[in-house]
Formats: sequence, structure tokens, C-alpha cells
Amino acid sequence: MNDRNPAVITTVPAAAVIEEIRDEIEDVRTYYFRFEDPELERTFAVRSGQFVMCTVFGSGEFAVSLPWSPEADRRHLSVRSVGKVTGALAGLVVGDKIGIRGPFGNGFPFEDIKGKSIIYVAGGIGLIPLRSSIVHVLRHRAEFGRLILLYGARAPKDLMYRETIEGWRGTAGFETYVTIDRPEPGWTGETGFVHTLIEKAKVPVENTVAFVCGPPIMFNAVIQELSGRGLRDDCIISTLERHMKCGLGKCQHCAIGRTLVCTDGPVYTYKQIKTLGEQI
Amino acid sequence: MYILPKSDLPMLLRTLADRYELFGPIVDPVSGETLFDRAASPEDLRLDAPIPVNTPKFTVFPHLERILSFRYDRDSKDLDIVRDDLVRPKALVGVRSCDLNGLLCFDRFFLGQEYVDEVYRDHRRKMLIVTNTCVRPFVQCFCVCTDSGPYAAEGYDVNLTDLGSAYLFETGSEKGAALAVELGLAAAGPADAAARDAAVNHSIGLFDGQAVENKAWISRAVNRLTTGFVKPETWEYIGRQCFECGACSFVCPSCSCFNIEDVATQAGPTDRLRTWDSCSFEGYARMAGEHNPRRPVEDRRNKRFFCKLSYSQSKKYLRPGCVGCGRCARVCPGDIGLPNVVTAIRRETTGSKP
Ligand SMILES: Cc1cc2nc3c(=O)[nH]c(=O)nc-3n(C[C@H](O)[C@H](O)[C@H](O)COP(=O)(O)OP(=O)(O)OC[C@H]3O[C@@H](n4cnc5c(N)ncnc54)[C@H](O)[C@@H]3O)c2cc1C
Ligand code: SF4
Ligand code: SF4
Ligand code: SF4
Ligand code: FES
Repeated sequence: MNDRNPAVITTVPAAAVIEEIRDEIEDVRTYYFRFEDPELERTFAVRSGQFVMCTVFGSGEFAVSLPWSPEADRRHLSVRSVGKVTGALAGLVVGDKIGIRGPFGNGFPFEDIKGKSIIYVAGGIGLIPLRSSIVHVLRHRAEFGRLILLYGARAPKDLMYRETIEGWRGTAGFETYVTIDRPEPGWTGETGFVHTLIEKAKVPVENTVAFVCGPPIMFNAVIQELSGRGLRDDCIISTLERHMKCGLGKCQHCAIGRTLVCTDGPVYTYKQIKTLGEQI
Repeated sequence: MYILPKSDLPMLLRTLADRYELFGPIVDPVSGETLFDRAASPEDLRLDAPIPVNTPKFTVFPHLERILSFRYDRDSKDLDIVRDDLVRPKALVGVRSCDLNGLLCFDRFFLGQEYVDEVYRDHRRKMLIVTNTCVRPFVQCFCVCTDSGPYAAEGYDVNLTDLGSAYLFETGSEKGAALAVELGLAAAGPADAAARDAAVNHSIGLFDGQAVENKAWISRAVNRLTTGFVKPETWEYIGRQCFECGACSFVCPSCSCFNIEDVATQAGPTDRLRTWDSCSFEGYARMAGEHNPRRPVEDRRNKRFFCKLSYSQSKKYLRPGCVGCGRCARVCPGDIGLPNVVTAIRRETTGSKP
């Protein structure tokens, strides 16, 4: 039916059990889960950059990125509690069940970027969708050129996946830069907005792609900086967010320009984004 | 091709009513309006009534529909996800070709593309459609301009054409053919086919007098929209006219947007409901954090006309999403039904005054 995903859970969510919950930063928790059906647990295959719809029984459903890497990584979701459904999720405990539909969306175009250098630029919880891709790329380190992560958050307490990032810092061939907006007592790392790291890291533009994910204001500053250095619009890759209901390309809530984020996206190149004719 | 004497119409309707829920045009005794609705009895259906004010799309896409329900006990962790089969077989009788084309747009959209909409598919599979050729257009109609009438070309099980004392009974599927045999209808001859062609041509001729020039402009409006040539001022004008009431979407046979909400019931389970929605509503694209990427009303209004005349249908299926029923023009309080929008686009290029 769908050549990108051999098995997609479309209408009826599959039951999954929460196995562990970790506090990440204020209001953001990571939920490790396993499908109740062992067969599904064994076969549920995703691509990095895709998303699922997560049901909190009794409250509703929301779209959420897949931070885990397609290969041998524990299944988990990292969710910021902002409203009705994500708020209800925050009230669940280990052993509770959630529902999962998916995986949906196009995913990152890894086939097209082999041999290139990759710059990851993330702001705040924008690191969630990029995490999967970073883990994937590090597993296939030899297939890429320079690998650089530029990550920024408002304050140290807003940095996602701190342990994971510490692990990445020690990984040979992976250049990691982390910044916070303003100096703060006890913080010895970089300060300033994340786009200022582009200069510090001396990011290449030749044979390079950038994955950019974060709030619109950060996105615009980063794009300006990267484009100013000559990085082509089709080499800048991002994921867009839209209000989603069905995930299947039917409800139309996620329409942007002539595309639907749930089926044509959520991964777009900046070149495509420019032609959508809508705010991001 | 068969002949159904008009005196045998009740027999057809009763046969259908025995095995399907029967839907068709019904004249409301209080308002005098024609509604497409469930018939309490086959005699209520009126094939000679004017075009119904509502579209038959609710038979495949109900205004409000339970698509799932959940029972989850937080204490015991017992979970039950129920997908009830609430879909009953329906026969739609007296569907006009514009509305049939609306359903065909739905088929392409809900059954085609990357994923199949399973709920829609269930409705559609258990359905029988009897169309009714429009031998006389109504004032609001412009189906000839959108290539969707007045005679249904495909997609029906049975098509009826009023030839005076009898209907020409054409079958478009195995279900329709079986029905003709079961009813013991007499075969029609070449003279009957010629009478149908004459009736259809006469009907098309009547459009000349009423489908005024702007309606013929649809293909050029499609062209200008698709190539991005509609001026921002035109969109702003259209946006200013819009009351954001959603009526246009709700009466439109090809509007399919929906919302999904999980609602807890008194009895305990949570129902997952899907309801009609419209791109004209301000909250339609609003995301968490109050970020609304499509805030100005003109952005939402042009979404409608891009949807109808450019990308959603035209680009993918090479036909407009508008099927020329004129209902949006009838209900729009802001006077920006589709024909008027086409007129606005025409005026901006020809410089003509209202
Ligand atoms: C493809 C995709 C991937 C996503 N991935 C993730 C992910 O990995 N992790 C994640 O956490 N989210 C992710 N989201 C966003 C997530 O889907 C929304 O946060 C979620 O739908 C909110 O649902 P809700 O019912 O809890 O909020 P709702 O109740 O629908 O609305 C939230 C309401 O709370 C208020 N509110 C919301 N956000 C804020 C805020 N930041 N500050 C103040 N008030 C606020 C507003 O009044 C808003 O209307 C993703 C979205 C998409 C489309
Ligand atoms: S856009 Fe208007 S005229 Fe066209 S099909 Fe919809 S309701 Fe009918
Ligand atoms: S986007 Fe608007 S015009 Fe298109 S189907 Fe939905 S409500 Fe109708
Ligand atoms: S019917 Fe008219 S006023 Fe109402 S939403 Fe549609 S275009 Fe706007
Ligand atoms: S979420 Fe329904 S169309 Fe994209």
C-alpha cells in the first residue's frame, strides 16, 4: 500500500505500555514504551524524521516526532506538556497504556546526502526530531563528511538530552557546540543565540547539508546566516509543524500551500518552504 | 439500457427500501424546500423536485460520526479499543450528476492517494446509487462549466433519464444490471437512446440562457489561480467579504475537511468522533502555543478557492473540485460563492465594472 512504510497503523491505534519515564527539562518528559503486541514490537519500523500520532485514552491524540533511531534504539517519545492532551500524558505513570498510530510522513532524505558534511542546528526542543537522525548518522559515521551539532537553548535548564549530548561530545569525528542565550552563573560553555555558533564552528558550505529545527524566530536567524554563507536553499532541511488530526492526508488541517505536512512532510527543504507561500 | 415505466418507479423504490436505508430528495412540507434525506417511506421521494439545498455527502461522510471508542481503566490497566461497524447499507436515489461528481471527488480523495480512509470506504462499499439526469437546469446551476453534468457519465449503479411517460434505466455496474433483471424491465431501443440524447442536449441548451458569462470563465480562473496570477487585492477583497461562517464548506458536495475529537461519555468509554470542519474557521490551523500560521482571513479564503480550483482536485485529478451546484452562492452571506469569486478574478483581468 505504502512503499515507504510496509506496515502502517492507520486508523486504530495500537496499544503500547509505558516502561519508563524520565524528566528532561521543565515540562518535557521522555516516555519509553513497548507495544503490547510482541509481533508489532518486533516489526514496527520507522524512518528518521517521521512522526506518530499518540493517543492518551480519555483525552485525545497529538502528533509527536520519533527521537529514536531506526536501528537498535529504545522506542521513546519526548513531549512538552502544553495543553489538554499533552497535559494528560504528563499525568500518566509507568505501566499506563497509550495508543500509537503511524509511522507517518516522509522522513529525512539520507539516500541523497551520503558523502556530504552535515550541520545540525537545533533550538530548544527542536533537538527531538533531530536526535534520531544524529544517532543514525553516527552509526554510519564513515558515510559522511564533517558532522557538526550546534545546539542552543535559553538556559542550561532548557537543554534537552543532556546525557546524550555529553556522550556525543566524546564521540570522535562529531563536533558538538552548545550555547545558552545569556551568561549564567555556573555555565562555562558558549553564550549567545545559536546562529552565532555557525561562525565559531567554521561550518563548511561545499558538499554540505544543514538540518535546522527550532522555533520560527531561531529558524529565520539560522537560515539567514547559512544562506549568507552560500549554502543552497535545497541543502537546508527542516521539519514543519502543523495542527494535525488524521495524519493520513485526509482532514486537511495540516495543509500548507499546496502540500500536506503529514504526508508530503514533515521534512521539507528550505527551497520547498519558500514556494509554499505561507508562514511557517 | 432498459425502460422503467413511471408507474413502476414505486416498485423500484420499494425493492431498494427492502434491503437498504433509502435516501433521496424529499420536499419539506413546512418550508417547501427540497432536502436530500432519509425517506421514512419510499413514497416520500420526489424525483421531480428541485435540486436539494443540502448535499448527499452526509451519507458517506456524516456530520458527526463515531469512528472508534476506548475503554481504559487506569487502575487495572485494562484497555479495549473498539471499532464498531456502525455503517448500514444505503441506497441513494435521485442523485444529480453534480452531486455524484462530488462523491467521485470524495472517492478519489478518500480512497486514493497514499492512504485509504477506512471509515469512508465502509460507507461506500455498502452503497447503491441511482442518479437522475437533470433535464432542466435550475437558476443556480453551472455544472456544464465544471464538466459535471447534466448527465452522469460514470460512477452510478443506475441512471434514470425522464423521457416523459417512462425513465430510461441505464446500468453502470453489476449491482445495477442485476437490479434490472430482478425487476424484469424491458430492454430499451435506439429510439430511447436518441430520446435521451435529445433531452440532454435540450438541457445543455437551457444553460446558455442562465449560465452567464462568468461561469464559462471557470477554466481561465483555474489557470490564473494555478499559475499564481490572482492579485493580492482580489484576495483581500474576497477575504473582507467573508463572515467565516463555514456555510460554503458545509453545503459543498466536494468539501471533506474534518475534525477529530475524543469525548468522554457518561457511560465511561471515550468516543472518537469526527465532525465536519471548514478552512474558513479561524482556529482551523491554530497550533499549541497560540501560533496560528494562517491568521488573516484572506489567507483562509484563498485556501478555499485554491482548494476548489487549483491544487486539491485540479492538479491531481485534472478536474476542478467544484462541481457547479451553486449551493455556496445560495448560502453565502458575504456574496462570495464560487461564481462570484470567478467573476472577481475575471474583473481584475478585464478591468470590467460590476
Ligand atoms: C510533526 C509534529 C511533530 C511534533 N513533535 C513533537 C515532539 O516531539 N514533542 C512535543 O512535545 N511536541 C511535538 N509536537 C507538537 C505537539 O503535537 C503539540 O504540542 C500537541 O499537539 C499539543 O496538544 P495538546 O492537546 O496538549 O494542546 P492543546 O490543548 O491543543 O493546545 C495547547 C494550548 O495550550 C496553550 N499552549 C500551548 N503551547 C504553549 C506554550 N508553549 N506556551 C504557553 N502556552 C501554550 C495554548 O493555549 C494552546 O492553545 C509535534 C507536532 C507535529 C505536527
Ligand atoms: S464550490 Fe460551490 S458551486 Fe462548487 S461544488 Fe462547492 S458548493 Fe457547489
Ligand atoms: S480546505 Fe476548505 S475548501 Fe477545501 S475541502 Fe476543506 S473546507 Fe472545503
Ligand atoms: S459561506 Fe461565505 S461568508 Fe460563510 S465562510 Fe463561506 S465564503 Fe465566508
Ligand atoms: S493531519 Fe490530517 S491531513 Fe494532515
